[in-house]
Amino acid sequence: MNYLDSLEALRTQFPSYKSGVTLHNYSIKKVTKASIVMRITLLSLVILTVYGFYTFDYKDIRIIDAITQALTTFKTMFTQPRFNHFNFGQGVYQVAVTLGLTFLTTLIGAFIALFLGLFAAQNLSSTVVSNAIKSFVAVIRAIDTVLWVLIFAVAAGLGSVAAVIGMTFHTIGYLIKAYSESFEELDPGVIEALRGSGANWWQIVFQAVIPSSATSLLSWTFMRFEINYAVAVAMGAAAGAGGIGFELFMAGNHYYDLREVGLITYFILSVAIVLELVSIRLKLRLNTH
Amino acid sequence: MNLLEVTNLSKQYGHDLLALQNISFSVQNGEFVAVIGPSGAGKSTLLRCINRMIDPTDGEVVFDGVQMSKLKKNELRMQRRKIGMIFQHYNLVSRLTVIENVLHGRLGYKSTFAGIVSHYGKDEKKQAFEIIEMLGLTEQVYKRCDQLSGGQKQRVGIARALIQNPRMMLCDEPIASLDPSASKVIMDYLRNISTKLGITCLVNLHQVDVALNYADRIIGVNKGKIVYDGPPNLTPEEVYMIYGSAAGDLIFDVGGQHAS
Repeated sequence: MNYLDSLEALRTQFPSYKSGVTLHNYSIKKVTKASIVMRITLLSLVILTVYGFYTFDYKDIRIIDAITQALTTFKTMFTQPRFNHFNFGQGVYQVAVTLGLTFLTTLIGAFIALFLGLFAAQNLSSTVVSNAIKSFVAVIRAIDTVLWVLIFAVAAGLGSVAAVIGMTFHTIGYLIKAYSESFEELDPGVIEALRGSGANWWQIVFQAVIPSSATSLLSWTFMRFEINYAVAVAMGAAAGAGGIGFELFMAGNHYYDLREVGLITYFILSVAIVLELVSIRLKLRLNTH
Repeated sequence: MNLLEVTNLSKQYGHDLLALQNISFSVQNGEFVAVIGPSGAGKSTLLRCINRMIDPTDGEVVFDGVQMSKLKKNELRMQRRKIGMIFQHYNLVSRLTVIENVLHGRLGYKSTFAGIVSHYGKDEKKQAFEIIEMLGLTEQVYKRCDQLSGGQKQRVGIARALIQNPRMMLCDEPIASLDPSASKVIMDYLRNISTKLGITCLVNLHQVDVALNYADRIIGVNKGKIVYDGPPNLTPEEVYMIYGSAAGDLIFDVGGQHAS
């Protein structure tokens, strides 16, 4: 008996058995109302995009020329990087300043977020406190880091102080959410076991909760460290916080020195790669310890 | 004197779910009591009401001469130290080593700060190593708990409970996730703890045959009520009574075989 026969036999035997596939229609996707709506939406977006480009006001820029020029600029930037206004040593120093800003904001943020994260975790705290912290933190995260720096700049003036406070603020918001969710993944049985033996809250936190979620905490902290590095570069330019970002701003906006812009980009990129490698190494070590 | 005295204990969840209804029994020092009954009968709730991991709705638990319901937060901690708990899923901190997990049993005796920084006294460490040796885990002392087998994990769980120097052990389905040979090892250890160390054991079990083999006394629970309380020689009719007729012949076979 072949497959179709056996399927038919099954159907006669169990009339209530209904298969989603009829025997004569071998279409893999089922056509539903939702899929039709999806197709219409995508098609209209394509039409709108083409129409948009067609009706743009290009002034007297010719698109082919513009693209060629942009490519030439990129070529100058990235194939002929050169020091002009500072030397290698100063470059390293400026990167160190940026890294200092990154490190400081991540460290302060992580420390504060660790404690607030404990109170924001539903399995370690009361529902009221947890919800209060979580909703407050959601508001902090809704506003971008750069905006927080500018908001604090009103009080502290543009510069490194505003950058540190603003970046720390957003870091705390981000890490509280990440940490508290890591804590919530903990097996409730472990907490029950320690509570049942007479251990108190702080002992349970340090003996069970934090050791269990250490890998996750570390990987979130590194994630934020990388984000903060990128933000710190931007802050150097936007908020005058100094560091390599400020040099980038000067080279680009002040001197219009494409070669130096390229060089600084390579500087920033190489540090980012090193950071990534370090974080992978650390996570591996913590996992196999 | 009775070590544990439970009177008219009731636990209600929500408006109409009665997990326990008017449970009364007492346990003597050193007794090995098995609590059997179908899933959802209230066995786990009963166990957790004794050390107030779950607060009972009504009734009284007197353990070691102390009324549990009257205790304040810190006094409750002190009282819980005298009750060791063992779980089906072991509930160890899997990223920590065996010795670290065993020493967790001492946290109730320590100040908050000493507990946070894992500062244990010399005699505590000595006792930990002795218990570990007694349970045959010496080779695993510095292994992380996620590298252990189920039976080994449960032995770590027993060691963590023993180092509390408990008067009583509450065991919630200690062998439900273990294979038969590991189950036998664990049950033998629990039996020894009760006989040799004089620690009272209250064990929730799913396996009727195991309960009949090991326990001094059986408490049968069904739908939140005690339906049997007596020696471990149940007749098939009594097993039916505990598990309900719907449970069918399977339990009858198992129970009957060993009860005879």
